[in-house]
Amino acid sequence: MYILAIESSCDETSVSVIKDGHEEVSTVVLSQMDTHANYGGVVPEIASRMHVENITLVIDEALSKANMKMNDIDAIAVTYGPGLIGSLLVGLMTAKTLAYIYNKPLIPVHHIAGHIYANNLVKRLEFPLIALVVSGGHTELIYMKEDYSFEKLGSTLDDAVGEAYDKVARVIGLPYPGGPLVDKLAFEGADTYKLPLPLDDDSYNFSFSGLKSAVINLVHNEMQRGNEIVKENMACSFQNRVVEILTKKTMKALKEYDVKNLIVAGGVAANKGLRDALSKACLKENINLIIPKMKYCTDNAAMIGAAGYYAYKRGDRAGLDLNAKATIPLK
Amino acid sequence: MKYLFIDTATTNLVVAIINDGKIAYMYDNNDSHDTSSKMMPILAHAFDNTKIKPCDINKIFVVNGPGSFTGIRVGLTVAKTMAYTLNIPIITISSLEVMASGISGTALINARRGYVFAGTYDDNLNVLYNDSYVKMDNNLKKPYISYDMFDFETIKPKLDLLKVILKHENDISVNPHKVNPNYLKLTEAEENFNHDRNN
Repeated sequence: MYILAIESSCDETSVSVIKDGHEEVSTVVLSQMDTHANYGGVVPEIASRMHVENITLVIDEALSKANMKMNDIDAIAVTYGPGLIGSLLVGLMTAKTLAYIYNKPLIPVHHIAGHIYANNLVKRLEFPLIALVVSGGHTELIYMKEDYSFEKLGSTLDDAVGEAYDKVARVIGLPYPGGPLVDKLAFEGADTYKLPLPLDDDSYNFSFSGLKSAVINLVHNEMQRGNEIVKENMACSFQNRVVEILTKKTMKALKEYDVKNLIVAGGVAANKGLRDALSKACLKENINLIIPKMKYCTDNAAMIGAAGYYAYKRGDRAGLDLNAKATIPLK
Repeated sequence: MKYLFIDTATTNLVVAIINDGKIAYMYDNNDSHDTSSKMMPILAHAFDNTKIKPCDINKIFVVNGPGSFTGIRVGLTVAKTMAYTLNIPIITISSLEVMASGISGTALINARRGYVFAGTYDDNLNVLYNDSYVKMDNNLKKPYISYDMFDFETIKPKLDLLKVILKHENDISVNPHKVNPNYLKLTEAEENFNHDRNN
């Protein structure tokens, strides 16, 4: 079964053709990151404008890379949320138009389900599993008993982890998007700054805004005293707290649910500090850890096509009145 | 010849199919909340109702603005996707011209903070005042035609779609990939960015 998948929830316009939920036939990702870097973050209206300018070009390229025509496609999968509403709508209207014209099933896909199923493009998922989804927009711990069954154990109560990274990066003077730079600097510094371990409780929820504020206050106080911040040390101290709490709660979930498979998904899955810490902990506890390739960590339509196949098998279908939603629970 | 017309730029949603110079189907309703949900079911109904298939359409006319940014993108995305995938010639039309098609004058769309999108057209849909994003000014030619509420007198648009189609029937069609909204306004972020750079 060939699925044409469309993803436009933030600042990447992406289209893929995926066979049977695991084989990537073709993918095109058009990133707008360079444009948004001028503004220090994603500007929703600009993102929407760029999606509408590029969407048909991206479809055309994905089909020609696959050497396929629309008539060869069996179903259309699309991200309908969560995300930026104006951005989502461009992909959604395109998907609905194609589904209608070619009389193909329309499969609504939750963006987070996509991130989780990015791993299925690398290796068939094994269940039960715990998924740690970490990105600029999400921080969630999810338990999956079987394919396309999602039980949310916890999520961030405020900032997403990637968002906190970008803000801390800005405060210590790194350009947008600063998350990857903080990760890099962290390995060049020492854990010298006193920062709290955020929301260190029995829940599976996370909170990063307090930690972020602690960094901002520390930087301001040091500046007022005329002291220079040691960027490397600040990056290291911040990253250590983030990685510690993510690892601690993830390992706790694996133990409590008696699960031997962990997958990490989302843009922050590329973070080396987090990868190292989870690898070490999983090795010790004999947990099977799966982290997707870098290209599947950031937003892409391949993951939507992979998730879409299992959503289709579960019976998920949408009508032509499908709307985009900025926030939706993962079910 | 079979034509499809789509306008989602204003609060008034229009989907029409024109068959050999006659309006075969027209949805024209000033209640376009949730256009993104309604658009495709209305389009499907239009095709079912006229027993015309999407691939039978010879030309697509789509309104590309000005108006609601999100609104424009909804209809324009549908139109450009259809034009691209079915290889149908596509032509873009001004929302203000459509509004002024039945009653000539200055068509207005409220752009908030005292600003409007305005364009003046005569009886033959010739442009007397180019579509602009301007501070509302009473020197624009009356009558004022608008779906929106203002604190001055306006009249509701009466659409003459056949007049619009006739006027643009022989326009040169646009490459579907290059069919884009005509917002007439930069985003606030871009305005601030340009302002900062120039100062």
